[in-house]
Amino acid sequence: MLLFSKILALISLLFFFGGILYHYFVTKRLKFPSDFARPKGSWKVGVLYSFTLGMMPWAKESTRRHWIAYLRGVAFHIGIFSGLFILVLSFFTEHFNEAVNLIFALIVGFGALMGFVGIVMRIFERNLREISTLDDFISVVLVSISLAFIALALIEPAFKMPMYFTSAIMLFYAPLGKIRHCLYFFFSRFFFGLHLGKRGIVHRFTEVSYGK
Amino acid sequence: MANNGALQKAIEVLEKQLNQPLKTALEVCARCGICAESCHYYVSEPKIEHVPAYRAEQLRKIYRKKNNFLGKFFPRLVDAIDLDEKVFDKLVEMAFSECTLCRRCTFNCPLGVDTPLVMRTIRAMATATGKAPEILVMLADAAIAKGENPEIFKELFLQQISELEKELQEITGDPNAKIPVEKEGAKILYVALAGAHTIIPPAIIFNEVKEDWTLSLYEAANYGVFLGDVERAKKIAKRIIDEAKRLKVQEVVVAECGHACAALVWDAPNWFGESFPFRIRSIVELLAEYIQKGILKVEKIHTEPITYHDSCNLARTGGIFKEPRFILNSVAKDFRDMNPNGIENYCCGGGGGLVALPEYYEKRMRAGKAKSEQIKKTGAKIVAAACENCKLQLADLNNYYNLGVEVKGVVDLVAEAILNRKKSVTSVN
Repeated sequence: MLLFSKILALISLLFFFGGILYHYFVTKRLKFPSDFARPKGSWKVGVLYSFTLGMMPWAKESTRRHWIAYLRGVAFHIGIFSGLFILVLSFFTEHFNEAVNLIFALIVGFGALMGFVGIVMRIFERNLREISTLDDFISVVLVSISLAFIALALIEPAFKMPMYFTSAIMLFYAPLGKIRHCLYFFFSRFFFGLHLGKRGIVHRFTEVSYGK
Repeated sequence: MANNGALQKAIEVLEKQLNQPLKTALEVCARCGICAESCHYYVSEPKIEHVPAYRAEQLRKIYRKKNNFLGKFFPRLVDAIDLDEKVFDKLVEMAFSECTLCRRCTFNCPLGVDTPLVMRTIRAMATATGKAPEILVMLADAAIAKGENPEIFKELFLQQISELEKELQEITGDPNAKIPVEKEGAKILYVALAGAHTIIPPAIIFNEVKEDWTLSLYEAANYGVFLGDVERAKKIAKRIIDEAKRLKVQEVVVAECGHACAALVWDAPNWFGESFPFRIRSIVELLAEYIQKGILKVEKIHTEPITYHDSCNLARTGGIFKEPRFILNSVAKDFRDMNPNGIENYCCGGGGGLVALPEYYEKRMRAGKAKSEQIKKTGAKIVAAACENCKLQLADLNNYYNLGVEVKGVVDLVAEAILNRKKSVTSVN
């Protein structure tokens, strides 16, 4: 049964990567608008800022104001990427170092907890509830359960089978539902960075000086 | 009322506009809702319809029905719906009256969702199906007609400029002060707006620094942009681009107008698919350069507290937020910034063409509540702005909320500083 669940998870993982690649190529096939305007700053600086300092909690009014909610989301996503990393590794190796196990169990487990907190927030916070779709709930529930079992399996190998089953379901659903925003995040921050950089909007990095 | 043909046309426009940035904006939102308080509509009236993510969702629902596996086969999972007349009417109303395309939500979104792009797409769908506000269409078409038949208005325009030139000479006390028109080979083509108030103050400055300039026959405003209609916007911009090419100028300088500046600087080169043989920038940038280089000498003559309202199109779209502060600090003894300001500044509520739409006056005033409170907190007596639509909205807010301020252009304040110095020199002499 463990082998079956593992194969199922592997197939879903391939489906996930295939699905994300499909969305990537469908998007890349669309027109990328040419920009002939004279630049006021460097687009590279903008893109770099967009993916680094621009993501910091202090970089935006919204995240300064709601820094707890933002950090919850950050912890959730760190948990997701760590969990995915552990899941992929588990196809190649049976045992990790004990200390590594514990560290990843804590990171992924905390990520799972933050996922469940997110669901509670979606239910009780009026605005969030009204803008949420069923897909939002399904996606967060699937990811959080999957992360919880990945964390548990790191501590107790008996949880490996449910880990593979829940991960298989989550990975199969991912390219179909909201989880595929993991791909569009990169597109979106890139376009935003282009805007910030080329137009000289990233203040600290684009001093406007006409000299003497 | 829209018919099936119109709805089909609207969907076609959506599909046609679907490029990488638009698809990204329609796919990426995680519906975290953190954008809510970034919207001045929500700050002034906290309700779900004013949450940017909710607004963009209204188009996403339609997009998903056509472009998404779950949307096609399990629509209830992703709230996918077909576009019908009622839905379309709501979309149009929302895009033209409840979003000023200010980009504040994009800047505050952890994913950088381009909600204004979604709103502009709805506007394009509305314009293509004849559902856009008539006034905006009329204003855009009038500008296009002027470009197609310049001879009809040219003579009258030149007469008016001749009168303005006399006025300029009287104000400055300089009989040689000029407002050149159609001057081939001039360094700068200055594009004003309708009305003398955007011609006289810049003319005072240009004459003061002995700039080699010429006034455009056309006004900078571009209502095609508000309609999300690239064809109309391009035709309006073409008049100026052709004039600049014909006169062989080195630079086009745009009057204090946020959307016109954004359209000419950032959009027009893409509409025409070329890099122009001249630079285009805002007059605010040029004035900052004059002062920074010492070409224009001004003193801090304004003693009353002055604050500055950042036009969204200049700051968040064009990166112009240091220059106006530099200018104001050069002419004002007591400059006070609003909080937040610069790229974090609240929209005044007049952007996106709303100032031109009387039917949305009340909505516009309510949306400007956040701005009026910002102004009050500064204690400023003068609110400077570098955008015509902002100035109109700020003047309305001034009356509506009894702010007791005076709304002025940055250029006006600089021109006043020049005139003040001239007066002092004359009285000393």
